[in-house]
Amino acid sequence: MNHLSQEDLILRYYGELDADTHLGECAECRDELARLGRVLEQVNAIEVPEPEAEYEAQVWNRLSWRLRGEKRKSRNVTRWLAAAAMIAIAFLTGLLVNRKQDVRPQVAETTTAPRPAATPVNATAVASTETTASNRNPGAGTQQQRDRILLVVVGDHFDQSERMLVELTNLTPAGETDIAPEQKRAEELLASNRLYRRTAVDRGEENVATLLDELEPVLMQIAHAPSQVSANELRRMQKRVEAKGLVFKLRVVRAGVRSEANLPQTPTI
Amino acid sequence: MEPTDIELVERVRGGDDDSFRLLVERHSRALYRSAYRVTGNAADADDVVQEAFLRSYRALASFDSRATFTTWLHRIAINCALDLLDSRKRRDGRISDGEDLSLLPSRAATPDRVVLGSEMQRAIAAAMAELTGNERTAFVLRHFEGMPLEEIGQILGTKLNATKNTVFRAVKKLRQQLQPFTGSLV
Repeated sequence: MNHLSQEDLILRYYGELDADTHLGECAECRDELARLGRVLEQVNAIEVPEPEAEYEAQVWNRLSWRLRGEKRKSRNVTRWLAAAAMIAIAFLTGLLVNRKQDVRPQVAETTTAPRPAATPVNATAVASTETTASNRNPGAGTQQQRDRILLVVVGDHFDQSERMLVELTNLTPAGETDIAPEQKRAEELLASNRLYRRTAVDRGEENVATLLDELEPVLMQIAHAPSQVSANELRRMQKRVEAKGLVFKLRVVRAGVRSEANLPQTPTI
Repeated sequence: MEPTDIELVERVRGGDDDSFRLLVERHSRALYRSAYRVTGNAADADDVVQEAFLRSYRALASFDSRATFTTWLHRIAINCALDLLDSRKRRDGRISDGEDLSLLPSRAATPDRVVLGSEMQRAIAAAMAELTGNERTAFVLRHFEGMPLEEIGQILGTKLNATKNTVFRAVKKLRQQLQPFTGSLV
């Protein structure tokens, strides 16, 4: 007869194995099971020290203190998450606004502002390319803004220069003519013209730079001339402006620049 | 009529922490006994009770109301006890700490030196101390808590056969340590 293994006896002791048939027939296994039982029953004698009478209250007191800490931590986490969300929203809003500003010139170019056929300046194309690039690369946004600022101020510079030159060419050469007002404006425009020309060269705005380069000696001549000029002197100045076609060029480029910078067109003088 | 555990759990989930206090008062003493049997140490058992209630509070949202809260809570407590034993084992290279070891008989103790009563208590404590964390847990859950082997396996993360073997090893070790003394009682 095969006897029950020690493992079987353990399982039988814990009621996990039905071996009653064998045990009914095998006295040796019954004895072995009894010995196992005596050992395990001794383990029941192990005493667990009884906690104090107020044990439950003590557990709760310590636990409630920790739970309050948990809740504080949870609230802090919630606050941090809320703050982080606010920052994220602000950041994304900023990006969105920036992108709208960046995209606007491109839209104006393609939908509303007809590009002058004779535009000598390729600033439009340059800015347009950079707009697209800035959309792909958010880091280019700042550069795009700088370009737009340049276009705005250059457009204004061209506008003032055109007005000044038109006023000069409209003067009637007769005797001594006072050109002090034009002279004063030419001095102011000359200083800024040099600055814009260098900036346009640096930015690769070749056509803008070329026009500014043509404008500069004219402004210099006017600025350095006497405030009272003779009729001949005035006529020479007027011819020089007309020969260069400066007023026309300024008008065309100004229109293109303002369109590129998304500014309303100023009326032609 | 007192609310059931499940009713209290639902109240806690609704934000009523006072109901959790009732659960703590209801179960902390039984939890302490189980924890003591696994850790063999009053201070550790107390820590296990605290940690078990804290973990259960955090996990209350995931508690399946179809299960028994007592079983669920005991599982958490046993896991806490095992974590504690593991960390102690890593730190000391043994399971029991100094408090209980000072009470244990020396390895050289012979049956005739061990008498009934407190001496037997020490012998049993010594035998339990010889068990590994998993062996002790499996034995406590099977022997004292009457937990089925499959459930024990879920707590220990072992398959049924491995769980059985763990219980077998525990019983064999205890028997080897305690049989000489029980023989004197027969």
